[in-house]
Amino acid sequence: MADMEIALDIQHLKKYFGGIKAVDGCTFQVPRGQISGLIGPNGAGKTTTFNLLTGVLEADSGEVIYNGENIVGLKPYEIFNRGISRTFQITRIYREMTVFENMLSASSMKMPVREARERAEQLMEFVTLTKLRGEYGGNLSYGQQKLLEFARALMTDPDLILLDEPAAGVNRTLLNNLLDHIHHLQEEQGKTILIVEHDMNVIMNHCEKVFVLDYGVKIAEGLPEDIQTNEDVIEAYFGHR
Amino acid sequence: MQEKAEIRSKYWLAVFLVAAYTIPFAVGIYTENVFFDLQWLADLTTVILNGIMQGGVYAMFAVGLTLIFGVMRIINVAHGELVMLGAYLTWMFFFYVGVDPLLALFITLPIAFIIGLLIQKLLLNAVVGGPELTPLLITFGMGLTIIHIVEAIFTTDYRTIPYAPDAFQLTETIAVSRSKIISFVMAAFISITVFIFLKIHRIGKAIRATAQNADVAMVCGINIFHIYMITSGLAAALAVAGGALVSIQFGFNPETGVLYTLQAFAIIVLGGRGHYIGALIGGVMLAVIESLISFMIPNGTAMVEIASYGMMVFVLLIRPRGLMGPKEN
Ligand SMILES: Nc1ncnc2c1ncn2[C@@H]1O[C@H](COP(=O)(O)OP(=O)(O)O)[C@@H](O)[C@H]1O
Ligand SMILES: [Mg+2]
Repeated sequence: MADMEIALDIQHLKKYFGGIKAVDGCTFQVPRGQISGLIGPNGAGKTTTFNLLTGVLEADSGEVIYNGENIVGLKPYEIFNRGISRTFQITRIYREMTVFENMLSASSMKMPVREARERAEQLMEFVTLTKLRGEYGGNLSYGQQKLLEFARALMTDPDLILLDEPAAGVNRTLLNNLLDHIHHLQEEQGKTILIVEHDMNVIMNHCEKVFVLDYGVKIAEGLPEDIQTNEDVIEAYFGHR
Repeated sequence: MQEKAEIRSKYWLAVFLVAAYTIPFAVGIYTENVFFDLQWLADLTTVILNGIMQGGVYAMFAVGLTLIFGVMRIINVAHGELVMLGAYLTWMFFFYVGVDPLLALFITLPIAFIIGLLIQKLLLNAVVGGPELTPLLITFGMGLTIIHIVEAIFTTDYRTIPYAPDAFQLTETIAVSRSKIISFVMAAFISITVFIFLKIHRIGKAIRATAQNADVAMVCGINIFHIYMITSGLAAALAVAGGALVSIQFGFNPETGVLYTLQAFAIIVLGGRGHYIGALIGGVMLAVIESLISFMIPNGTAMVEIASYGMMVFVLLIRPRGLMGPKEN
């Protein structure tokens, strides 16, 4: 794969929690401008990987090359300002701020205030939260919180978007809505998206490439249809747990 | 279940506060310090007004303490020393340069902001989020250092600033000192300005975001260490403004800061730790109770401190969240 086509080059990434090898020397390349999936059984290290990629946790060792730069060791806001944005498996919005304030809180200080407001308005419209703009984050339903977190992650127009289980706890209509948005981002704006998801329908129908983790190690990667029939993957999901 | 306990604690706090306000009257009646004639009512009104004015100033610097706690979970026990420093700064500008104490705010507040910024950058940024004892001890040491430096320069003598000492006749029988009114108006103005800043300015929003969840703030691009510095700068400015406003009403020496720290503690416990409006309400409520006590209870001045710290302990027992603080988790 030519360098231009790789958005994120992850090399031997490692993170142990005491004796738990949460991420154990992972190496994979996320293709640029595509929707990719990161799957694996519970506890495989997917969320930890996201935390390492976004600087929420510091890696024990390994590299993450983004736009020619190793971003391991950077602070979360430094990584965010380089164009990587994320959502959390369990939504983390500001419960005591309004929807609109949640949106604005993710704007870069460099972005003019007027522009930030306009962008927040557009994104709220995009995820159909405009009529709830004055509502406190804590009063939203779980699905709405997911939408808000998703919209907030787009405030600074990031190039790489990491979504941790966007479908969990979201009803069908909202989910389809969300998936439409994700496709829109990829097709119209050329964004790179990496999704951690348990819902196999989402992975199989929406991802171009899938990476499979088990016990912190990448055990397979490829097209969704190939992954589905991969012996190792079936073993990981159904074999030993 | 939890909701019931929550409602019960609210109820008990209300009962406690009503009692706290009633007791001075009861003791006053019992000791025959209360006469329900017009003169006494006028005096009572004066005392309550004074309490409110005093409370406004205390509330303002208590807000600084509550801001730091809310954003960083740090208890800055040197906050009162910054108040004291503010008094000395104002005194210096008044006596050496001849600047009006209120106009001096234009110089002392930026100085204070920078001092706060530096304290944060050099001493506290490294220990935020770590074990809670470390920042506590650091600010404790810093407070003592400030006291001794000021003592070395100015000795322990009391200083005063003669400023607008004459009384303002509200009615024939009710008069409030002009310096108190000026202080209160300034304190209200500054508190409201800071509140609006926190509400609508994007840096204010970033401060609130960081207070709610620093980890999320970071992945949303907020450099929390800059936010911590701005918060400390603001808190120091509020303390120094408080110092300026008390310096025109009361004498002060290097050790008075300790009392202001304790006062601010009592206020933010009552108002709810980390809560802005809570601190403002708590400040006024506490000062009013204090003035009622010293007005109606014989030997009341000694009782005042027992009452405010006793109140702090009681509130912590009955309802640790105080009036408006966030739920403990
Ligand atoms: N902060 C942490 N401290 C200790 N162990 C952790 C921590 N975060 C995750 N783990 C452990 O690391 C492993 C991987 O967890 P995680 O990345 O959340 O898995 P996934 O998201 O794939 O379900 C699990 O065994 C989990 O218990
Ligand atoms: Mg997970």
